[in-house]
Amino acid sequence: MIGITGLSHRVLEIPDLLLPAGRVAVIGPNGGGKTTLLRLLAGIDLPIAGEILIDGHPPRSREVGWVGEQPEREILFHRVSDEIASPLRFRHDPCPLVDERVKVVAGELGIGGLLGRETRDLSAGEKAMVSLGAALAARPDILVLDETDSNLDQESDGAMEGVIRGISCPHVLQATQRMELAARADHVLFLERGRVLHAGSPSAVFAALSGTPFLPPSRWCR
Amino acid sequence: MRVLLDDVILRRGSFQIAASGTFSEGVHLVTGRVGSGKSTLALALAGALPPAAGQIVEDGIMSRTLALPFPGYHVTGETLEEEVASWGQMTAPVLDAAGLTGRGGEDVLRCSQGELKRLVLSCMLAREWDLLILDEPYCSLDCAWKVAFSGRLGERRTGITVIFTHEDEILPRVDEIWEIQDGRLVPLGRVPEAIPRWSRPPRYIRTALDAGALPENITPGDVRDALCRTRG
Repeated sequence: MIGITGLSHRVLEIPDLLLPAGRVAVIGPNGGGKTTLLRLLAGIDLPIAGEILIDGHPPRSREVGWVGEQPEREILFHRVSDEIASPLRFRHDPCPLVDERVKVVAGELGIGGLLGRETRDLSAGEKAMVSLGAALAARPDILVLDETDSNLDQESDGAMEGVIRGISCPHVLQATQRMELAARADHVLFLERGRVLHAGSPSAVFAALSGTPFLPPSRWCR
Repeated sequence: MRVLLDDVILRRGSFQIAASGTFSEGVHLVTGRVGSGKSTLALALAGALPPAAGQIVEDGIMSRTLALPFPGYHVTGETLEEEVASWGQMTAPVLDAAGLTGRGGEDVLRCSQGELKRLVLSCMLAREWDLLILDEPYCSLDCAWKVAFSGRLGERRTGITVIFTHEDEILPRVDEIWEIQDGRLVPLGRVPEAIPRWSRPPRYIRTALDAGALPENITPGDVRDALCRTRG
């Protein structure tokens, strides 16, 4: 469980919120506070006021996987295999274990063929998948994806969703503008102007969003 | 007014794409998988990447621009109003169109990605272009703004508009569809006849086609009408 109390940070004002374990889709208009909230949950920023606890612990004490919208700004290494291996090498895991883990993660993501490539030669979507590989390599307690899917096509997006469904990470927070993807999450959070306007099951949240552009196509004719 | 791709081969490193066909006046949609060559083709159409073989022949194109996927690459001003001015546009109407009214004095790089995208697209759409090329114009936009910009793009009646995208939930009204398949740009023809020829349409259109519905165009409204009519 993720608990947020008395949070006040930039545009965000969240007095009290509980997010259950599982996949949480964070949706809402641009500038509504999605990225701001995700950065706090990932421990990248600390709140000006309030508290966030992930299973009782502050975010910075958890293993966090993060993928942003522009992975090319976050990629550090020239070779794909080095990029995916980076979080494991930073914590000095033994080389044979690192090599094995990189192959497994790349295989799960369907990017085994990219391992020997230069990261700079990849397309935007391929870079997103490599960044996801790096985020998953260290088996995070919380995986945070900030509109990473905006650079993925439907096949890559489907592969990423399949991988995320299959991992044992207890908390996956994903900001997305793909409402169909949000509709398949366990929990949906709708943020607007820094406030949580709707939170709950996809059915409950999208029922409240009927008549808005935030309704997934599968719910059009209901 | 037209752009003819005459047996064009484009290369970037070991990557190669072949393209033949004519982009005439109207709104064109070019789709394809991530890494299929959409951005390469967009650069070539904009004149920023010379073909390795063949030629690109323009007829009557006096002005052109290319919208890059990441809006930050376009920024030259420090504030929003400086950025609008750098496009030769009036501040107030462009900021209004971008939903950024009254924020002209703010640091442009403090905008969210979506806000920056709205700003850059609004600057571009504030004037007419003979050739307007948009590479992933929907990236970073929220659903409401995807709908808003789709409306503006679909209303373009003059010049050639070419939209390269893998967007699969909200698309504009278009005249022609093209698809990159196996390293080659394939013209699918005019809408609506082109829609069933699409090998990998967006999911909402696939859902409609699977249900036996043929929408008049590819906007969510067109597809919703066709789908809901079929389902009664």
